[in-house]
Amino acid sequence: MLFSSIPFLYYFFAMVLLLYFVVPFKCKVFNVHFEAKNFILLIASLLFYFYGEPIYTLLMVGTILFNYIMGLLIDRFRGTVWSKVSLWSSVIVSLGSLGFFKYSDFFIRNINTLFNGSIPLLELALPIGISFYTFQILSYTIDVYRDKVKVQKSFIRLATYVALFPQLIAGPIVRYSTVEEDLTQRTHSFENFGCGVTRFVIGLSKKVLIADTLGGLSNMLRASNEQSVGMYWILAIALSLQLYFDFSGYSDMAIGIGRIFGFRFLENFNYPFISKSIAEFWRRWHMSLGTWFRDYVYIPLGGNRVSKWHWLFNILVVWFLTGFWHGADWTFIFWGLFFALFLVLEKFFLNKLFSSVPRAFSHIYVVVLILISFVLFSADGIGGALRDIGSMFGVGNLPLWSGETGYYLSSYAFVLIGAIIGATPLIKTFVLKIKKTRTGELIINTLEPIFVVVMLLIVTAYFVDGSFSPFLYFRF
Amino acid sequence: MNDRTKNIVVTSVFVAFMAFFVAMCIFRYFAPVETSQAERRPLAQFPEDISWSGVLDKSLIEEFEDYSVDQFPFREFFRGIKANFQLNVLGLKENNGLAVQDGYIVKIEQDFVDKNVNYSLGRLQLFYEQFVKDNGGNHYLALIPDKNYFLAQDYGYPGPDYSGLTDKVTAALPNMQYINLYDSLELKDYYFTDTHWSQNKILGVVDKLAADMGIDHLLSGQYTENRLEGFQGVYYGQSALKPAPDTLVYLTNHVLDGCTVYDYETQKTGPIYALDKFDGSDGYDVFLSGTKSLLRIDNPASQSGKTLVVFRDSYGSSLTPLLAEAYDTVYLVDIRYISASALSLYEQMKMVDFEDADVLFLYSALILNSNSFK
Repeated sequence: MLFSSIPFLYYFFAMVLLLYFVVPFKCKVFNVHFEAKNFILLIASLLFYFYGEPIYTLLMVGTILFNYIMGLLIDRFRGTVWSKVSLWSSVIVSLGSLGFFKYSDFFIRNINTLFNGSIPLLELALPIGISFYTFQILSYTIDVYRDKVKVQKSFIRLATYVALFPQLIAGPIVRYSTVEEDLTQRTHSFENFGCGVTRFVIGLSKKVLIADTLGGLSNMLRASNEQSVGMYWILAIALSLQLYFDFSGYSDMAIGIGRIFGFRFLENFNYPFISKSIAEFWRRWHMSLGTWFRDYVYIPLGGNRVSKWHWLFNILVVWFLTGFWHGADWTFIFWGLFFALFLVLEKFFLNKLFSSVPRAFSHIYVVVLILISFVLFSADGIGGALRDIGSMFGVGNLPLWSGETGYYLSSYAFVLIGAIIGATPLIKTFVLKIKKTRTGELIINTLEPIFVVVMLLIVTAYFVDGSFSPFLYFRF
Repeated sequence: MNDRTKNIVVTSVFVAFMAFFVAMCIFRYFAPVETSQAERRPLAQFPEDISWSGVLDKSLIEEFEDYSVDQFPFREFFRGIKANFQLNVLGLKENNGLAVQDGYIVKIEQDFVDKNVNYSLGRLQLFYEQFVKDNGGNHYLALIPDKNYFLAQDYGYPGPDYSGLTDKVTAALPNMQYINLYDSLELKDYYFTDTHWSQNKILGVVDKLAADMGIDHLLSGQYTENRLEGFQGVYYGQSALKPAPDTLVYLTNHVLDGCTVYDYETQKTGPIYALDKFDGSDGYDVFLSGTKSLLRIDNPASQSGKTLVVFRDSYGSSLTPLLAEAYDTVYLVDIRYISASALSLYEQMKMVDFEDADVLFLYSALILNSNSFK
């Protein structure tokens, strides 16, 4: 089920809100203490998943159950080899499941190509959100093993954490440690509800009004009869902003819904396009994934406290996996390695170079690389990526400009400019500055409820009139 | 208002908003709407067949999603919000592929679909081979550009390759004399809210056709304009912009008044202009009663001894009557609704006679680019 849809907003979410706030947090059923709110969230989350993936709901429940047992065993046999065996069982089974469903055909295809084989493809449908919930579960079992979090003895609580519908299918990757306390006790207040609603509506608007509109532009540019160098740069800008607003919009919605229910999820984006280096970009883009790989892969491999060659190896492994996590295709692997290359170059000499030139140059360097990276990310295979990126630099004797390029730029100019401004902290800074005065606070606080209603009306209008448009990150 | 009060207000407003629309959705469940007049289509209804297999193969979910969108309360109001926001706030030049230029609502196409065009040409070739090639008459071919041709030419919009289409069509039917109508038309010859041309604006097209077909001396060119106000074309509702309706003008003279139209489907005879159709689902149906597979116009005033066969789409409904003055009989064949075998049957039964008749293939680019021929 998509957040940006009528079935979600006016059927599912409305019903869940009603039930959730009607029941007490805890109650006694047949003399047994029962966490009613968690139970409602769990059932709602399973229904949410079932709506889109009826069969794979069993896979998710099975994975949760298995890891729940592994968590108990890790804790029960702490200090013995069985604790490690339980952890590795959790890791192997979870990653095995992810690998089987997500990467089988990729490996078969490559084996067939390499050895001229004809192994038939499995053609399995990818269970939605498997990459996200697998990483969430692993954060739990690994942290239990590391004794960073207490083992969760309540299956309902653990299942609620993993299956929690706001972040189940498109992130952010919420660590168990982040919501450990919220699962047992959380605050429900007008502050949480009001702020959550505003955040949700902002995310919904980002997705529906900006990301989907830019998606339309990207499609039309790709289908254009009059391609030009300028057109490919506009395409790169549109694709990059579309990805940002799509994914960060979803994260906003997840954080907003979580807050309505009293959960505090960590931020997932922090204006990545204002970065001055690729390293900084990845501290601001999909932060929950970056920190996951840092804490569960990079640091266990030795991080940067190792020899130069070992560090290079660590960087390659982490960015290979980061790329591969995004999709079972060579384009994603090269996308990850593309970042690895520039992270290494920055470490060795680019950082020094940029420290001696005006900051604008480092911004331009980052933006150009990011645009290229997202063209690679969105391309149809390596051949398509090379063609698209080559076209940005005039390969293929394309004209610099064409009439259609001008048409699409003029048609989407306002959206593109709005999206570029929205991708910077300008609006947030402006609002916070105004709010510092008493009058400013009054104005902003008066406008906020109006903004919520107007945006809800507009996005509902898009739902009613629009076509199906899934989140880009659903395929992960 | 401090933050605390603001959060209470946001919460209250959100809850009230949701409660209102949820209540309206529940109401709509008990009182569903059958069709959308604006979009000219039936609206999805609540799934009837609720089964476990439907859940597992997701067909039930898809049906429910269609239902929830189609039956959402205040549908037209929301479609209007979206169209206005897209065009007037975001500044986009199109909404759902429709652009508005100088008041004309135009469907923007990036290119023709080769597969569709090739299929259409294949069907035209079939009908040509079977009914036209050896009939002994003169054979003509003309294409009608969509409004998007003029937007691409004059206003910088993207547009399909019309010259490529013309080349394809003339190459597919090389033995028909091609008549170029492009230069006889401009954007203002079409309705503001509809895809079609306006009959009173296509006298230049009629002159061009008549001259090339050698019948110009048989046409009076004198008509009385009759106006029907409040014509809402196909884009009127689709655009959701509530534009000003068009005026539908139909041309009459004493010859056209005396003509009769025989409908082979209903086996009934009627006038050229079916005025009772104006208030139906499509006001353009006034011309020759709308979509009909096979019609015959009989012109008792003609003494030319000539017959014309027009293979046509709906554009031909408003144009053909203006050529009828020159012919004793005009057949109109719409191969979207009649197959070659059915037409052949009429021929065998001597219900149509194409012998020595002039033949005109008159098709809009819109139809050639669709996949609608039988």
